[in-house]
Amino acid sequence: MQDNTARYQEFAQLGRGGQADSLSFRLILRLLWRCLPLLRTVRGPLAGLVACGAILIALFAVPVINVVNIFWNGVLEGGPLSDLQATMIGLDPDRFSSATGLSVAARKEVLRHLVWSVAGLLVALTPIFIGLVYWRIWILQRVNQNLRILMIEKLQALSLRFHDEQRVGDSIYRLFQDSAMVTQLINVLFLSPLETISRFLFTLGLVFLWDPRLALLLMLAWPPLFYLGHRFARPMRVGFRHAREANSRLTSIIQETLAGLKTIKAYGAEGSEKKRFSDASLEAFTAAYAARNRFVGFKVLTFWCVGLTLVIGVGFATGLSASEAPLYGEQFMISMGFAAANSGVWNLGFYNNFKDRFGDGTHTEHHLLDLWGTVQDVATGLDRTFELLDLESDIEDAAGAIPITSLSHGVRYRNVSFSYESKQKTLDEIDFDVPIGSIVAIVGPTGSGKTTLMSLLLRLYDPDQGSIEFDGRDIREFTRTSLRENVSIALQENILFGDTVAENIRYAVPHASDERVREAAEIACALDFVAELPKGFETQLGERGTKLSTGQRQRISIARAILKDTPILILDEPTASLDAETEHRVLQNLARWADRRIVFLITHRLSTIRHADRVAVIRNGRLIEWGDPQQLIEKDDGAYRRLANIEAGKPLRTEPANSQTGEP
Amino acid sequence: MPNSFQEDEKQSARDAARTIGRALRYIGPFRRDFGIKLTLLLLSFIPMMLLPWPTKILVDHVIRGIPFGEEPRPYPFFLEPLIQAASELSPTAVLVWTIAAQFCLLVGIGAFGVASRERNSANGDGIPQGWDTATRTENEANSGFSLVGGLFGLLDYRFTMRLTQKLNHHYRTHLFGRISSLPMTSLDDGRIGDAVFRVMYDTTSITQACYALVLTPLTSPLYILLSIWVLGLVYGWVSPIVFAGLAFLLVAFIPTLPLAGFQRLYASRSRQAGAKTTSTIEESMSNVLAVQSLGGEARELDRFDTDSANSFRQYRLKVLVDLITYSIAAVFGGGLVIYVFFHVGDGIVDGLYSPGDFAVLLPFFVGIASASIDLGALWIRLQGDSTGLNRVFFLMDAASERDSESDRALGPLQEKLELQAVSFAYETGRPTLEGINLTARSGQVIALAGPAGAGKTTIAQLIPRFINPSHGRVLIDGQNIADYSLDSLRSQISFVFQETSLFDATVEDNIRLGHPEATESEICEAARLAGASDFIESLPDGYQTRLGRGGGKLSVGQRQRIAIARALVRNTPILILDEPTSALDPETEQRLVSALREASRTRLVIVIAHRLSTIREADEILFVEEGRIVERGNHPHLMNRPNGRYRQYVNMQTLGTDSPTSPTTP
Repeated sequence: MQDNTARYQEFAQLGRGGQADSLSFRLILRLLWRCLPLLRTVRGPLAGLVACGAILIALFAVPVINVVNIFWNGVLEGGPLSDLQATMIGLDPDRFSSATGLSVAARKEVLRHLVWSVAGLLVALTPIFIGLVYWRIWILQRVNQNLRILMIEKLQALSLRFHDEQRVGDSIYRLFQDSAMVTQLINVLFLSPLETISRFLFTLGLVFLWDPRLALLLMLAWPPLFYLGHRFARPMRVGFRHAREANSRLTSIIQETLAGLKTIKAYGAEGSEKKRFSDASLEAFTAAYAARNRFVGFKVLTFWCVGLTLVIGVGFATGLSASEAPLYGEQFMISMGFAAANSGVWNLGFYNNFKDRFGDGTHTEHHLLDLWGTVQDVATGLDRTFELLDLESDIEDAAGAIPITSLSHGVRYRNVSFSYESKQKTLDEIDFDVPIGSIVAIVGPTGSGKTTLMSLLLRLYDPDQGSIEFDGRDIREFTRTSLRENVSIALQENILFGDTVAENIRYAVPHASDERVREAAEIACALDFVAELPKGFETQLGERGTKLSTGQRQRISIARAILKDTPILILDEPTASLDAETEHRVLQNLARWADRRIVFLITHRLSTIRHADRVAVIRNGRLIEWGDPQQLIEKDDGAYRRLANIEAGKPLRTEPANSQTGEP
Repeated sequence: MPNSFQEDEKQSARDAARTIGRALRYIGPFRRDFGIKLTLLLLSFIPMMLLPWPTKILVDHVIRGIPFGEEPRPYPFFLEPLIQAASELSPTAVLVWTIAAQFCLLVGIGAFGVASRERNSANGDGIPQGWDTATRTENEANSGFSLVGGLFGLLDYRFTMRLTQKLNHHYRTHLFGRISSLPMTSLDDGRIGDAVFRVMYDTTSITQACYALVLTPLTSPLYILLSIWVLGLVYGWVSPIVFAGLAFLLVAFIPTLPLAGFQRLYASRSRQAGAKTTSTIEESMSNVLAVQSLGGEARELDRFDTDSANSFRQYRLKVLVDLITYSIAAVFGGGLVIYVFFHVGDGIVDGLYSPGDFAVLLPFFVGIASASIDLGALWIRLQGDSTGLNRVFFLMDAASERDSESDRALGPLQEKLELQAVSFAYETGRPTLEGINLTARSGQVIALAGPAGAGKTTIAQLIPRFINPSHGRVLIDGQNIADYSLDSLRSQISFVFQETSLFDATVEDNIRLGHPEATESEICEAARLAGASDFIESLPDGYQTRLGRGGGKLSVGQRQRIAIARALVRNTPILILDEPTSALDPETEQRLVSALREASRTRLVIVIAHRLSTIREADEILFVEEGRIVERGNHPHLMNRPNGRYRQYVNMQTLGTDSPTSPTTP
């Protein structure tokens, strides 16, 4: 358990700028591997998309080469067309493939046909293109959504030990920015390389047909590119990592400042907070600047490499064209219908076609290196995603955990010890037994461990030693969900959600009827003030003029716990913000309601304790007194008696009084 | 007051124009930088005018072997000296020299006219982003761009990125500052996630709009004119190529115009859905204790699933509108491109142009066309930004509590604080306070008591002007506090809230929040008075212990004591505590109450409390019920009133211990 705390602290530290680079090429590939399950739900659509793309590319390869050739060679130079070329643009092959070349009128006709065929094709393809892009976005977003859901599930499964350390802004950043990288992953590590590499090989083959020496030149660009890719990978990753961490910190700072804005304003600390924000914002920008600079520098350098290759290659080809040298693959070109008989030489058509092919070759080389740069950022983002997903929750269901059916006997704390940090024990060997039908008051100085004691019952944390038993069975043998379904709690801080009053009361039981919501509100004495709200139960909390006082929030929070209708109810300082009269009413209602249940009341108020039939006095994590409040108050020098006296403002013993409250 | 944080989804074209125009005002402080960026852009035009020519030389003179001077169209005058020199060389030498020239262009500007798609190699494309507003705009916040690559492009790119960041930093900080001066209650409804989204992701719209508004209208026409001039030198002034290029202005403008409304609608929905998702995460992470202990995980997951899926959907629809918009323009534009191919093709067939001219005409046409598109599409491109701007301006315009602030400083409280006939009502008109009169003197402890929801907190909030009275006045030493600066007022009041908020910093820094210059011994003393020193010293690192999120590692009572220490260390003439002792055990409370007594000797202490043991010690108790002060006096005085409300209230609390009167039963 302590290991987990240490891990969580380390994790939280990551968001504060702890770690730099932990990635290697192997790990990057592993990330890809780990993302594959995310694709499961989109397997079909993804395969369909890839297939459609491949078909389109294949359909296009032949026309594209031919269109360029027809334009340069046929239209501009007046050379003959091949049969295929003529047929493609809807012309009679016999008229346009005569070896003597084309007349001016024929060239113009070829031009018209060529242009309209291309235009028709483009117009027809536009909707298909839009459809494919939209489809692709849909798939990628689905994958991203899958990952976000996994992350949110993990965040919720992690115990409070984790959340005590974790910054909200960091979670937001990881969920939004880091997880989005998964949409790129498929593209960057899978689709794009697949497409680019096959295009490169295809181009290389074509260039080989023009001239093998030029194909070799294209290959010669690789060694320097590999070197640059290797040399820059780590600095880029480190840069991207810092940029992500800095932006995540910035998000945290905004969130934290806004969450505490009231206090900041009341204490005139706006100036220093703005400074803190401004510093963090600058830091984030500086980190992003550094990362992007490396990335752009890398791109410029790699472009020089491929640019040089391109300039030399084109220069060489220009020389070949000037002398109309024969193509290396002359026969192949002619037999494939790319050239008319006897025209398989370096003419303008093949020269321009070559320039396009060779340009494409260098372009794909550059693009692959670009992708490599992009991979560094994608991997960094995903690494941060998996850091979160890899965290183990310290509270998991045991193997063979069973759901709780009912609670019929009682709850027992058996020698329970617990500590947040290893140094101090927050709870030390707590041992007591509560039979069903009891109301137990837990009293003691602030910070003595009362709230922690109750958190263990919900398994927000697990005890370090000892156990808690329901009807004699360790609660760790039950599933966590069923446990939490059987225990309800009204927290000390009355947290309400941005929803209607009714939905807030219904929070734990989403399908509860309006009738039950009303009943719960009645028990919690919330009916009166809710009725006065502009729209009653349907009032949206947080809207204009519906600010609730703390006491009102407290009662909604109690109603929420009551509605859950569980055998165990915990009220943490339920009445701290209630006036005496309301408190009395609430407690009386509760006492009636609580028959055949167990109610724990954490409280300081004597007037609340009086409604209990057991009192546990906790001090420094130890149970120092336990018993009937009427007996404890009799005890000379008893801890409970001392507390009661101070509370009542009586230096001497007071008369215990339950006569008027009528216990259930 | 932006309580609902909800602006209109539908923006009319006129609203959008006004919003966008307003963005221009924000350029002010960065005029010089924009000047430099403009110069860099104009400088990059020069090489772009030179780029197409080497290809023409290669095609016409090296491959086709046309001798220099016999080409159908002459070279522009600025190339004459080079052509002159080239005409004396052999074709091979021309080839070698051209390659050398292209190499220089490659290093300098990363382009050499053979492969035009490589031209923008140095811009920021390639930084990975997702398919949602948040990641796209995060990218925008750091984006740089340059028309060229190479060394010059790198310089240009870096400068632009810095400028983008400077602008974004400036406006983020500005917006953040505005948010922190919003009225106290603005963020009560937990719209934190939404505000985070605005600061982080909506502010980038300002930068984007500024670039579009300043750079495009200035550079595009210049680029067009320069291209026309160069083309005119060679191909005559009235070239159909130029008209075709310019026609793109209309092609980009007219067909897209009807879609501007959709662009705004979907961009705005996409931003709102993104902000809502942020709020959902923020809320469920901040309240994870409540979520886990109430078993709300499934519900929260469901909420997130819905919101997140919706934000993806809205973004997808926005992209679809973009795609359709640009495709419509592209189909029309395609017609123009076809026309150009006809024209040039016919020209070459007729011998008007040489094949090499094609390599010149096409890039110039593309240049003119894309500059025209930039101009023509200016409006449609700004639509998405206008929705972001709208969200930013909405917050900037929200009434801030400092808007009509006086700069007169209020002197520290010497004698007394008065509330004269003060009433307060929330906007719905439900009166919360009515006719409150009170006088409190320095040296006193005043207690506000009464049932929950009676208006005690509201009374206290009037004093530091967290809220302003609807009627009546609040006076300090006879001066109306509304006439003085907020800083001078708040610097003499320490307010401890009912719900304490601690920050993820050390204990010491948390106490120091309101008094940055406090010495260590002052901090320890305040902690001791607040009854916090014992537990602080037992923490692993004492005063240097980091508290974790929201002070989550401490119990509520411990947090409350740190908040009280924070107030005490400021040593202000007025101390207001809203239920400071609700979570304290009786012993700690007693110590605190006597500390407050002690503190009140030199100042005014106002306490809101339910606990008798806290109230009893006050010099004057004001019993508040339904927004009115119904009884006032000290404890014995009020207890002596038969059937007094206060007496009933006390009896209820100490029921059975010292009560002769039985309480009103529910």
